[in-house]
This record gives sequence, structure tokens and C-alpha cells, in this order.
Amino acid sequence: MNDTLTRLRYRWWPDHVIGEVLAKPWMETAIPMGVLIAVAFTLSGLIPGFLAADQLASTARQAGELGFLVLGLALVMIGGGVDLSIGSIFALTNFVALLCLHELQWPLAPALAATVLAGMALGAVNGLLIGYLRLRAFLTTLITLIVFRAVYELVNADHATAIAAHLPDSPTWDFLGSGLFLGVTAVVWVFAFVALAGHVFLTRLRPGWHVMAIGGSRRAAHNAGIAVRRSIAWTYVASGGLTALGSLFFASRLASVGGDIGQGLEVTVLTAAVLGGIGLGGGRGSVTKAVVGLLIVLLITNGLTTLSPSGGVNRMVLAIILITAAVVDIRWVKNRHRIVSRVYVSPDFLELPPAPSCAPDSGTVWAMNDKLRSVEVIGLGQVEGPEDVILDEDDHLYSGSRHGDIVRFLAPDYQRREIFAHIGGQPLGMAFDRQGNLNVCVGGMGLYQVTPQREVRKLTDETNRSWHSVNDDSRLRLADDLDIAADGRIFFSEATRRYEMSEYAVDALESRKSGRIICYDPRDGSTRTVIDHLLFPNGISMLPDGESFLFAQTSAASVSRYWFEGPKKGRIEPILTGLPGYPDNINLASDGHFWLALVGMRGPALDLAMRMPAFRKRMTQRLPFDEWVFPNINNGCVLKFNLQGEVLETLWDPSGVNHPMITSMREHKGWLYLGGLSNNRIGRYRLPEGAGRPDFVHYAHRWGSGFSRSGAEQGRA
Amino acid sequence: MELFTPLTRPLAAWRDRLLGRGDAACTVPILDGVLQPNQRLETAAVAWAAPTGSLELRDLVSDGRQLWLADGPRLRALTPQADGRLASEERLVAAGPITALCALPERLGGGVAYAVAGREVQILGGSHHGRRWTGLAERDFTAVNGLAAGGDALIVTDASAQHAPDDWQRDLMSLGASGRVVRLGLAPVDDGKDRSDRVLADGLRHPFGAVAHGSALWVSESWRHRVVALGAGDRPSPVLDQLPGYPSRLAPAGGGGFWLTVFAGRTQLVEFVLREREFRQRMTASMPPELWIAPQLRPPRSFLEPLQGGAIKQMGVLKPWAPPRSYGLVIRLDAAGRPLASLHSRVDGQHHGIVAAAECAGALYVLSRGAGRVLRLDLNTLAPETGA
Repeated sequence: MNDTLTRLRYRWWPDHVIGEVLAKPWMETAIPMGVLIAVAFTLSGLIPGFLAADQLASTARQAGELGFLVLGLALVMIGGGVDLSIGSIFALTNFVALLCLHELQWPLAPALAATVLAGMALGAVNGLLIGYLRLRAFLTTLITLIVFRAVYELVNADHATAIAAHLPDSPTWDFLGSGLFLGVTAVVWVFAFVALAGHVFLTRLRPGWHVMAIGGSRRAAHNAGIAVRRSIAWTYVASGGLTALGSLFFASRLASVGGDIGQGLEVTVLTAAVLGGIGLGGGRGSVTKAVVGLLIVLLITNGLTTLSPSGGVNRMVLAIILITAAVVDIRWVKNRHRIVSRVYVSPDFLELPPAPSCAPDSGTVWAMNDKLRSVEVIGLGQVEGPEDVILDEDDHLYSGSRHGDIVRFLAPDYQRREIFAHIGGQPLGMAFDRQGNLNVCVGGMGLYQVTPQREVRKLTDETNRSWHSVNDDSRLRLADDLDIAADGRIFFSEATRRYEMSEYAVDALESRKSGRIICYDPRDGSTRTVIDHLLFPNGISMLPDGESFLFAQTSAASVSRYWFEGPKKGRIEPILTGLPGYPDNINLASDGHFWLALVGMRGPALDLAMRMPAFRKRMTQRLPFDEWVFPNINNGCVLKFNLQGEVLETLWDPSGVNHPMITSMREHKGWLYLGGLSNNRIGRYRLPEGAGRPDFVHYAHRWGSGFSRSGAEQGRA
Repeated sequence: MELFTPLTRPLAAWRDRLLGRGDAACTVPILDGVLQPNQRLETAAVAWAAPTGSLELRDLVSDGRQLWLADGPRLRALTPQADGRLASEERLVAAGPITALCALPERLGGGVAYAVAGREVQILGGSHHGRRWTGLAERDFTAVNGLAAGGDALIVTDASAQHAPDDWQRDLMSLGASGRVVRLGLAPVDDGKDRSDRVLADGLRHPFGAVAHGSALWVSESWRHRVVALGAGDRPSPVLDQLPGYPSRLAPAGGGGFWLTVFAGRTQLVEFVLREREFRQRMTASMPPELWIAPQLRPPRSFLEPLQGGAIKQMGVLKPWAPPRSYGLVIRLDAAGRPLASLHSRVDGQHHGIVAAAECAGALYVLSRGAGRVLRLDLNTLAPETGA
């Protein structure tokens, strides 16, 4: 009864979504957004008509003009710098625009270009000093702030009267200042466009990523080959240009050359950027944050101006809100990953059928024996993490290793070892195709192929994104085992979409249905998910009917059959359920039955914990990883079963001295070769006389003789 | 503030549970300082091994000339031989397993006191030969797991009011706190000494062995991971606490001070399970104790036993620093109760579940109940560290 309630609770309440949402990068903007909404609500409550259309339009116009500056400063800050001179640049470019249009009476287009170029040139001064000469950003821009301001005051004194005397006759210029398009001022449209472009630049384009990387770690970016100095210089140029853009709209609206233009602007802009959550240390920020920060500052200043308390109170309120927001934001950013790591692991309810007894005296096919005690050891200490093993027609033995290699042990005695190919990620399941290519699932990378000429090719590393997942689940995180259909389609399992290879055990503990089986079609290069919501799908083995395959679900302790063609297409039927251990790879046996590796055994304490998700959740929160109760993968066995779901034979080694862990097995010419994910050796077991066909070569049986030899000969030639 | 504690305590407990702080923190002291691991117990010579399976050896004491060993229902006298082995001689077969032993000194009349199945204390030999006790103060003995010679009495630790000595895991998992320490007066008739039988302390969490220290009595209290001193009329005060394991018996050491044996190591997982009532109840109701998430006396023998992440074999090796399901530890204490040295058998070893230690004829004999062995360590080789 209790279990039923728990089951329902965990079926319908998506615990894992909270963690996935919190893990999203855009959650960093959550606090500034919250502040913005709170400010808007509070002020609209205090001030009647605060959020009315005309007020909003005025705020939007201000936001547009200042927004360019905030964007520029944000870019500089993301790159790890700061630009205090924007106020002075603003004043100077405002002057340039008015000089060109009013006094010199240039046409509009060259005047606009001259203004923006002037801004970029001023920015370039900063860029040169900070980017190339590597001066301190804070000091340098403080100096240019003073210098530019001094220049402005000098030239302004000479030209102020001339500028005030003329008025340009340009409707376009007037439109920039006060024109409406679809009821919204021009400046807002232009700003929206620039902001969108800025967002694309930062998140989708290479130079934007470079700036982000430099801000995150200058040294690492340099080591990665990014032109650090040039990129930094360009951020200041861009900041100058954007400031000029803002000043253009300001000039067209007010046409003013007052002495206090742009004074103290850098503080407002800097406040907006910091309040939006753009890190002063660099590497953190976005256009959204810049805009949100700006809106907060504008709403507060406008609101306080309307309320018109005495000046001191006004600034005090602003300061308090800024401090509070900054503190909350810093704590949030600092602790977000902790919150995520607390809530991300979200165990699900899992009730496994009772396991059969494996006691030596149980009298069943499961009764433990010590047949595998005499396993021969190959390559002790020469290979680490051979999850799967495979042999070619010349009896050479291939296995993966955690160093990212495919290791080949040479027949006949397997004493000599060579690196057959280096892939980079840990190779897991392996299968030969008709052409003799070795197809490999690589943890963390996807599906790869090694040709007989040892050329490594990526087949696929992504599938279609599912609509119900918060995480982007298109990238393959833990491709696991594969087999190849007669038409060349490769069906492979992905154990989980929520964890990386190194965290596979966390997924096993979580036991949420987040695995899937995916089909790669070499004919058109497409990749599609064919079965979703599986519990750690693992081994895959094609069936001779050519239209179905077997797959194991490790956490569910079951083996099922899936039809991908024919009249039963799309059907899934259970073959083995309630296994006493956790199934891993499945492979064909020479007598037409199937070998299955049990990578670990079930224990009653863990089975109970699986029915108590809240217990497991607290365990993951309170205890370090090494203290968690785990599936017992120190012991396992190999078994043979048929399609009727009968277990025909089990092979055990309770002591596990020669071969501690079994994740896969492959029958080859009267031997059974054994692999284990955390072993430093490969095992082989002599099948008893008459138990296996002495000429059986798995993939020669499958594709016809000569499939791999021909390829290997090409390789030698 | 005192006034508000009834109000704030539940609040604080709730906050601790939410955040995993305070009592809800599953932290365990680490093996550091003098407790830094070694393999001295693992590499110690085996002086005697039980012919029949393990877990049957329950106590080991010394009377100075020879050792007394409780081997199932058999009481054995073990005499050190020249080759370091022990010669065994069966002295008695009791009606049930012998759960505690004490060699009585001459002032208490001599002989050997022993407990049968935790329910009965008897004396073999000496002037009190044949005396027996089955309880005290309206309460029958249930879990007598330690006997010690006090100044004028036999000291008995009765670990639990509900669970027999071998059912100690159930006592731990039910958060048992019903252990008591009892004195049974043995002084001679006519010298005016206290001859009464009394309960010295009650409500202890699994007392497991005692030793007299001057006028006080030191008792190891397993579930509180500490050794407490019982004085006349005082409440138990800790001598040594925050042990990284569950202490068992205490035995006097040659150069002053004591040997404290520790029968299992603490793990964060067990500490966590002790805070999970529902899981504990369902676990203890549905499976035998050797499959529980609970301390054990010996390393895992079946894949049905729970496994912790750190105990997964990597490259075929079980790491000795993995969380201990079972562990072997003996701590040498000085006369003030400060640890001086330690002997270990680590997670990848065999000599686990240490329940007793005794000095005899220049050697330290250690009883590993998990391995069913009596281990021998030469006191001379231990001397530099132990200050003996």
C-alpha cells in the first residue's frame, strides 16, 4: 500500500526537472529578473500610472540610449576588463555628431559614419593600451576618462556657439531623435536590433566565444590558441562604437553641447551591468543580463524622481537596493552549483521482481559453481578497462581501454600487444560490420568506426532532441553497446542522458528511465531514437530473423526483444525478468543461444532502497559518493539463455581472483573471452568439449567468411 | 534562553535534518594521529585458530600464566608454547555459548567467571566455585558480554535488555539504550567490605566490557563510540570519546594503561541509516543481519551483502581505505585514557571484529572474532610506540 503511493508519487511528479532547470545557464539571470519584477510591482503600487504607456515609452527611450553603453561595457567586462571612459567618449562623440551636422553641415550618412568611427577610434586608444600594451584596465580607462573629458571641454569651448547657431535640415535626423515606428521610438527599434545581434554574437559566434573564454581564464584562452590581445583590444573598440551609437540618438533628440553631458554616466552604466549580473571578474554575462540590469536602474531612478523625496533619500534608497541585489546575486551565483548538485540526483521508485536464489545448494540453474575460477588471464596490467572484447577471423583480440585506445592482442598466444587505434574516449561495445570495419560505442563521444586501415571516423554523436526533456538531450553522453542489422543500420544503446560516463553509477542509483536505443543509418547518415525511456539499456544483440534484436536493461535486471521490422515492428517483449543480477552485454553463442554477462549482483538492502527513493535522495545529499550503497559489481557471472527466456547455464567465480568483474563475453573457436569495465586484464575460459563449435567466429558467422581478413590485407597493402 | 529551549530544540532539530547539520550530520572521525592505519594486526602471527568456522570465539582473558578462551560453549585454557603457538585444553562445556570471561584474582577468591548465552554468570574454580547469578533488581540478565574484576566485586556489563549478545546489530539498529553495569559482591565475609549486589549504571548504549582503574570503573559504550568512567554515585563521564569505531573490551596493559579493542569501524553510511527510521525498520524486518547495512565482524562473504561505492574493486584491487564494512583495530591507552598507539587490520584484510586482547608471558594476544583466530604480537616489538 505504502509502496503503491510512493510509486504513484514518483511516477507523476517530475523530481528531476527541478535540477535540470536549475542547471540551465539562463538560471543565472533569475535573481536580477526577480528584482526587476519586484521593483516594477512596488513602484507601480506606490506611483499611480507608473507603468502606463507614456511612462513606459519614456523609460524605453532612455533604455535605448543608455542601452548601447551598457552593451559596450558588458562586452568589455565579459572579456575581463572595465571601461570607465564611456562617459567621456559619449560626450566627445555627441560633440562630433553635432559638429558634423550642425557646424560643418555634412550630409547625414557621412556624419553618422564619422561619429561612430570617432567612437571606435577613442575606444581603440583604450584597446591599444590595455590589449596590446597590457596596462591595467581600471587605471587606463580612468586616465582616458580624464583626458577625453579635457579634450571635450577644450573643443566644446571653441565650437559651442557655432553648433547652437545652425540647425540641420534632415527629417531622417529628426526621426532618429523623436520619430515613431509602429508606435515605438526609433531608438528602441535600433537598440532591439543591436541587442539581438549582440546576443547572437556572444552565444553563437566564434569571436563572442573567444571573449567569453578570455574573461573566464586569460591564460587558458591563450593556451587554447585564442588571440587574447587582439580580442581584448576589439572589445574596447566595440565599446567605443556602441557608445557613439548611443550618443547619436542623444544628439538627435537634444542637440545639446552642455558641459555636464556624459558626466557620471559610467557609474550608472556600471551599476546597471553589475546589477544585471555581469561579473566584474569577467567570463560571466549576457545581453539579457545587461538589459535587465539597465531596466532596474532606470525604473528605480525614474520612480524615485517621481516620488521626489529629498535628494539624499533618493540616492540612499538606490544604494540600498543596489547593495542588496548585489549581495543576493553574488550568493546565488556562488551557491547555485551547490543547490544544483543537491537537487540534480533525483532517484525514482523501482520495484524489481524477487530474485532467484543463487546459493550453491539451491538446486537450480543459478546454483553458484566455480567454473570460471580457472579462467586464463591475458594482458594482465597491459589494458585498463576492457569493457568489451572482440576477435577477428585471424584470432586477434581487440578491446577498449580507459586511455581511449583500442588495444589489439596478437594471436596465437596474445603475449604481444599493440595500440590498434586511438579514439580518445573509452571504447565500450564493439562490432564488426560487413566490410570489416570495427564499430565502437565510445563513452562521452558517441558512435565511432575504425577501418581495417586503422582510420578513425565519427559516425554520429547526436540524435533527435526529445520535446519533453529540459536538458538538451541531442548529444550522446553514454553510448554503450551496439549491433548491426543486415542492411547496415547500427542500433546502439545510450545508457543515460543525464550523466557522464564517469557517473554511470549515479544513474544506476537514480534508476530513472533516462536511457534510449538509437539507430544510425549509414545510408543517409541519419540518427534517430527508436526506443526511449529505458532503464540503463546496455547490451544489444541482433537476432537471426533479421527484424528484431535483444537488449538488456541493466538497472531493470531484464532482457527484452524489440522488432524494428516486419509485422511486429515496434513491439517490445520481455525475455528475461527478475534476474538476480544486473545484465550487461549480450552476444550470440555458437549453438544459436545467447551469452549474457551479469555485471553485478542484486542484494536485498539495495533492492529495498530502490523502493525508497526519498531515502536514496537523502543519501546522495548527505554522503559522499564513495559512501553510497551501490549495486554489487564486484561479483558477477556469465549465463546462457534462449529466446524462450530459459536460462540454460551459468558460469561463476565467487572468489573473483583471476577475473573480478564481467561486463562482456565473446565466444570464439571454443573459448569464451571475458571483458570487465574496471579490470586490468582480459580473461578467457575454455568451453568444455562439445559445448561450443570449434570453428565459431562471431562476425564471420554473421557476415560470411573473409569479411575482416580482406580488410586487414588491404591495410597491410 | 534556557526558558525557550523546549521551543527551539524541535526547530533546531528540524533545521539540522533539513540541512544535514548537528545530530543529522553523518560525519565520522577519521583515522589520524596515533590511529593512522598500519597492518600490524593483519600481519600478526596466528597463535590459535578455531577448528570450526569463525564467529564462535567470543572472549579471551589472561590470568598471568595462561589464557582463557570462550570458543562456542567450550571454555579453553590456552598455554603459550615455545614456538609462539598456543596449546589448548578444554576445561568446560557450558549449556550455551560462553559470551564473557574473567579470570578472578586471589583477593576475589580466584577461579574463572564466565557468562553463558548472556543470561547467566557462573564461577569455575576458586573459593566461589559453583556460584551463579541470573539477574539483578527484577531484571534478568539478557546480554552479558563483559566480566571484569573490581576491587571487591565482579563487574558485569549487560549490553541490552532486549537483545542477546549475538544480536548486537539489532540492538544498534533499534537505537538500543538499555545496557547496564552491575556489580556482584565477592569480597570475603569478615573484613567489613561491601558485599552487596548493585546496579552501577543503567541506560547505557551497549556497554561492552569494563576494567577497574583505581577506585573508578572504565566501561566501553559501543553505540556512543566512547569509554566512560563510572565513579561512586556519579553519572558516567567520558574518558575517551569520538572513536572512529565501536569499542569492545578493555584489558590492562603491562606498563600501565589499557588495551581497548574496537570490533567494527564506523561508516557514514551506517550513521546515515541510523537516522532513517523507516528504512531501518523495513530492513531489519525483512532480511538477516549479515545482509543489513550495519557493521559486521568479518569481511563480506556473499554478493548479497550491500556494497559501498568506495569498495568497488578497481583494476582487481579492493582499496584498503574503502569504507569499512568490517575492520580490525586495537588501541593502546595510557592511564589517563589517551591513545598512545594502534594496531590495524584494514578493509582488504582478514583479522577483523576484534573483541578482546590480553597480555600473557611477554606477548599481546588479540582475539579476532571475525577470522576466528587468536593473534600474537610480541610486546617487545610493540614497546617503542606503546610506551610499555
